[in-house]
Amino acid sequence: MSQIAAAPSTGANRAAQLAALEFAQKKPRSLWQDALRKLMRNRLAVIGLVITGLLIFTAIAGDWIAPYPYTRQDLLRTAEGPTWDHLLGTDEVGRDLLSRIIGGARTATLVAFISTFFSVVIGMVMGIIASYGGRWANLLVTRLIDITMSIPTVLLAAMIAATFKPLILNQAKALYATTGWAALKNTGWLELLIVFGGLSVVFWPVFARLIRGQILSLREKEFIEAARAVGVPEWLIALRYLIPNAIGPVIVYMTFTLSSGMVLESSLSYLGIGVMPPQASWGNMIQSNIGSWSYRPWLVAVPAATLAIATLGVNFLGDGLNDALNPQSQTSKVV
Amino acid sequence: MFKYLTGRFILAIPTLLAVMLIVFTLTYISPFDPVKLMLLQNEVRQQDDPELIARIRRQYGYDQPYVTQFVNYITRTVQGNWGISINGQRDILKAVMATLPISAQLGLAAALITALIGIPLGALAALKQNSWLDYFIVGGTLVLRTIPVYVMGPLMLILFVLVLHWMKVPRGWNGLFNSQTTLPIIILTFGPLAVVVRQTRQAVLEVFSQDYVRTAKAKGLSTYATLVRHILRNALIPVVTALGFITEGLIASSVFLDNIFAIPGFGSLSENAFRQLDYPVILGITLVSSILIILTNTLVDLIYPFLDPRVTLES
Repeated sequence: MSQIAAAPSTGANRAAQLAALEFAQKKPRSLWQDALRKLMRNRLAVIGLVITGLLIFTAIAGDWIAPYPYTRQDLLRTAEGPTWDHLLGTDEVGRDLLSRIIGGARTATLVAFISTFFSVVIGMVMGIIASYGGRWANLLVTRLIDITMSIPTVLLAAMIAATFKPLILNQAKALYATTGWAALKNTGWLELLIVFGGLSVVFWPVFARLIRGQILSLREKEFIEAARAVGVPEWLIALRYLIPNAIGPVIVYMTFTLSSGMVLESSLSYLGIGVMPPQASWGNMIQSNIGSWSYRPWLVAVPAATLAIATLGVNFLGDGLNDALNPQSQTSKVV
Repeated sequence: MFKYLTGRFILAIPTLLAVMLIVFTLTYISPFDPVKLMLLQNEVRQQDDPELIARIRRQYGYDQPYVTQFVNYITRTVQGNWGISINGQRDILKAVMATLPISAQLGLAAALITALIGIPLGALAALKQNSWLDYFIVGGTLVLRTIPVYVMGPLMLILFVLVLHWMKVPRGWNGLFNSQTTLPIIILTFGPLAVVVRQTRQAVLEVFSQDYVRTAKAKGLSTYATLVRHILRNALIPVVTALGFITEGLIASSVFLDNIFAIPGFGSLSENAFRQLDYPVILGITLVSSILIILTNTLVDLIYPFLDPRVTLES
């Protein structure tokens, strides 16, 4: 509103003034409604939204929409091209490729959401400790962020997963031998758990740094100072003013972390330390067939293209959210 | 100047030590037992002899407390004794030194090409801000960046070899200036290209709104001359700042790239180490990567004041 009041009332921009007046008379829209409108006007973001929605739907409904169980082999029909009963063909040991792609979507989405959730929680706690815990806490957390960030993401995640995987799997095996719990027999979910852990460790610093920066810059703003001056307690300021103002960038970062999570899960599985066959992951599907790309190209191309489309879709959504929620920021959060 | 240089490098040491602590702790708790490995490698008969194991453990200090072992690890690393790989029993430092130059050549070539393409593209995007060309450049490079290397590699191979028949299967390493390196270098540039384009575009837009650019235009300088003489010089600063980030991206890309193209580089060493859970090698490559990133960041801090005189060396 301040811009309208400040506009000089010369005849030249009367049209603008009229438009502004019309704008002012309309029912005020909330920040979120405004953001939603902007998001829906962005064509790429809508495409991204559709892809992300499809991905989540596939992850939830995977078992019902997949034509076959993704671990079922038909050894008489290995590495076939697309046919009517196997729409995308079969893989090197005769599993239905479409069902494996759907299974991979579940793995990727699950890992992406859970590791993003964990890293946001850890990052938020660390960010709050850094900004409210005094000088030493701030120094400690910022150093920890710097150190974690000076090890390449893939290497750190791979290293954590490689270290803990044999440990946890051996423990589970020992526990299974003594207790006989059926849950420990299938180690697929343990592999997932290890990937969640590795990814959370590499993702939290981004959130901690972001939240710390947001709190530090917002605390100096006039409206926070005004609230403090009239005696609003510090926790209420945090709840009422800091969190609502800081949430936009956090949501944007979460979207980008979702797509990085999917890529990293595939990368770890590609390196053989994430999700292993017969569990389905796009990364291990690419890996199992990369040696034979020249005579069975579709077994590499299909999971590769799926991974590319999924990450691009989520990133488009993130970019759209960035434009919608942080109109002032010019920088993209992807790079 | 010299004092500043040493100061900068001393500042990097705590970070490096912390990285080593993390890496060491991870191996310390991992199920990897160096003593059993040693017995296996030397083909000792009594592999399970507890007395022998205990003696070797004592001799090499593996029975010492955690802190002592960490200090020993640092001493050994500084002395150049990085251990021997489980698979193939190669000296790790030698393996790193043999593979790193290959990856460094590829990485530098990719970085150079990225700068040569990325900076003009970024400037062009800024000049045509919010046009379809701008969206195409920024969006296109972003698409290339988002797609992982192990997806791009096989897809490009399928496209160029199987569909278009433009080339034979490019495999192996016969020096940098060889047609085999074309595809790997192109794929390596995809990662940092988007970063350079975005940074340049952003910087050019920012500089455009400065008074001295308006002055340059007002005195009749052409857009091209303004761009080269006044804008690009200032726009380079943020690109240089992103160098550490770019280095990290190149290292990560090479991990997945090398084996696809059968390049005996640092990435190939890393990928095989992870695949075989070769902990001593994993330790070594993580350490080398972190050293490279920390060095690049220190270097950026050093050249920053020369690009931007407002930043003084001492601050």
